[in-house]
Amino acid sequence: MSNLQEIGLTELPSLSKLYLNAAATAARRRILGGSAGEPALPAVSYHVRNVRADVDNLTAYQHLVGESASDTLPAGFVHALAFPVSMSVMNRDDFPLPLLGMIHLRNRIEQRSPIHFAEALDVCAWSENLTGHRAGTQVDVVAEVTLHATGETVWRGVSTYLAKGVFLPGIDKSGNHHAATGREDFTPPDPTALWRIGPDIGRSYAAVSGDFNPIHLSVLSAKALGLRGSIAHGMYLASRALADVGPAKGDTFNWDVAFEAPVFLPARVALDISTTPSGSGAWSSDYTAWNPRSGRRHFTGRVAARG
Amino acid sequence: MAAADMTTGGDRQAQQAPGTTRRAFIVGGNRIPFARTGGAYVKSSNQDMLTAALEGLIARFGLQDERIGEVAAGAVLKHSRDFNLTREAVLGSSLAPETPAYDLQQACATGLETVLGLSNKIRLGQIDSGIAGGVDSASDAPIAVSEGLREILLDLNRAKTPAQKLKVISRIRPKDLAPDAPNTGEPRTGLSMGEHQALTTAQWKVTREAQDELAYNSHRNLAAAYQRGFFDDLLTPYRGLNRDSNLRADTSLEKLASLKPVFGKTLGSEATMTAGNSTPLTDGAATVLLASEEWANSRGLPTLATVVDGEAAAVDFVHGKDGLLMAPVFAVPRLLARQGLTFEDIDFFEIHEAFAGTVLSTLAAWEDEEFGRTRLGLPGALGKVDRAKLNVNGSSLAAGHPFAATGGRIVASLAKMLHEKALTEGRPTRGLISVCAAGGQGVVAILESA
Repeated sequence: MSNLQEIGLTELPSLSKLYLNAAATAARRRILGGSAGEPALPAVSYHVRNVRADVDNLTAYQHLVGESASDTLPAGFVHALAFPVSMSVMNRDDFPLPLLGMIHLRNRIEQRSPIHFAEALDVCAWSENLTGHRAGTQVDVVAEVTLHATGETVWRGVSTYLAKGVFLPGIDKSGNHHAATGREDFTPPDPTALWRIGPDIGRSYAAVSGDFNPIHLSVLSAKALGLRGSIAHGMYLASRALADVGPAKGDTFNWDVAFEAPVFLPARVALDISTTPSGSGAWSSDYTAWNPRSGRRHFTGRVAARG
Repeated sequence: MAAADMTTGGDRQAQQAPGTTRRAFIVGGNRIPFARTGGAYVKSSNQDMLTAALEGLIARFGLQDERIGEVAAGAVLKHSRDFNLTREAVLGSSLAPETPAYDLQQACATGLETVLGLSNKIRLGQIDSGIAGGVDSASDAPIAVSEGLREILLDLNRAKTPAQKLKVISRIRPKDLAPDAPNTGEPRTGLSMGEHQALTTAQWKVTREAQDELAYNSHRNLAAAYQRGFFDDLLTPYRGLNRDSNLRADTSLEKLASLKPVFGKTLGSEATMTAGNSTPLTDGAATVLLASEEWANSRGLPTLATVVDGEAAAVDFVHGKDGLLMAPVFAVPRLLARQGLTFEDIDFFEIHEAFAGTVLSTLAAWEDEEFGRTRLGLPGALGKVDRAKLNVNGSSLAAGHPFAATGGRIVASLAKMLHEKALTEGRPTRGLISVCAAGGQGVVAILESA
């Protein structure tokens, strides 16, 4: 990121405004057509300094995803805190992929140090790895959170998004078949948990995370974007799995999730969460979630102690 | 995480010979600062606060992944969904998930009773370690539906056809929709705790000035204890609080004297109980680590004090034979007699300040010759408590009183005080704890420096 142009924002941008702007950009592109020439990611990074968590919002988030309301920010809460900055990267006119309708494929988070809720944080985000996917084009959006006082990077997240059906000239898709996972045979194991997720969870998670993407809010708004109904936020599901893993994960860990079939609301989701302590101190917990009726896999992931 | 499987139960330090007892030690404690209701913990649940206090204790004594013999705690204001509150807090903590837990409820004596119960188990050799505690939230209190609506909803659940359901729903009346919030009223008398205490305060002729002075001393003593760092190893900050939010270090007798009475205004005598000399509703949690000597020693943990003995009492308050909060008046002489002790043998008195009037009525009863003879069965008065030994680091009037958390607060603080005084004076020291509770109950205990 050293050769990226830094763009400072005075405060966290409003996600609802970003979504409105994304809709306008989508309409403009539809009328005017996409930009010509070699597609490339904008060489910029966005920065917001001196951000603090709102404690009431933190408690509401913790209760919603099943965390105990401790003073340490859950890793998924930090993702939500940084998300407006990540959105700013994807919301630029020169960003080569349409923000609305992008599919969250993967998320990898490094919780390098525990973060107390009262800490002042600096957040920055940029995009990288514009690559082909058998179903379109994918991109990584990287966010980093550092302590304002010391500059120590305490949290890092890489979110991989897919623009389905968007094939850009010059972006090779043939070489990325290894990235096309999720269609392998899946035989559901015996579940260790069953979640009953109500129809309003999309709105509830939007309220605590600020992510008011219309595909999560209601059947109507989701249908307007081509889905047959509203779906749960991927990060809500992953955060709930992280909460289920529990305090055994300790203060610092790597947390990965790969999303497959979306969870249409309301839903029952079966899970298998298995924790493997090993003698060497390398602790990890794997989780898999699926639809108990159809057997389709929703997501898989792992939480592992940082070695 | 330790690689060993902690479910096997083969980690006993020493097997207790059947029929013998051993001593139970207080290793230390941890609580979160107490917050006035509607304050810093307004959105935190009982489980959140108990888990926060527990996590601080685990961090202080290195108990991560440890299988504790048993954890006992409780809450007075408890949601019915929290039936396994303590076990859920354990599962949300860094203790080994193989740690068993149970909930206990004895109104404001809950916290002290968990300490007595677990220390008895340690004394009997049933467990080697235990964590006692309590939590309460007046902010996040449960609210039930009205009795009428509850019956309708249960009938609705039993109705089978749409027509039956409609018929049940049609029974709902506007009055059924009024929620049923908890209150501090006694079910049998309808009087609030404050109104009950106002009767007792008047009966023992406790003056407004004496109550204000006790409240003033509580704030002054608690502020001084914070000032010299007494709570540094007894407390972990939570939600931005690092000391009890009810504490008014700058309060004065003049300020306290300016407050209007809130209880006892309809009595024949002068009303003397104000918001300043009564305990406010508070949110908070407290925990205490208990252990056998072997368990503590093998982990290099301190042993501050032993739990010597405890006694519960109850009074017939319903028709005014005794005051609602006067049960400790009877428990203490029984406990002292059993241990062969007098007030002269006690270095610190920790008398829970539900109201300043409660403490002063209790002291007055113990100093009363006739009461000693006729009610306590003694030759005369039980004795006079040296005020210089009373609540020396403040008590509930200053700290606040999250009902079930108060016992843990007192036990951990007193254990530390006894340990410190024993070190400086080179002799064993003893402390007496007295906690009154709703329903005309009380629990008292004696701790001794280790």
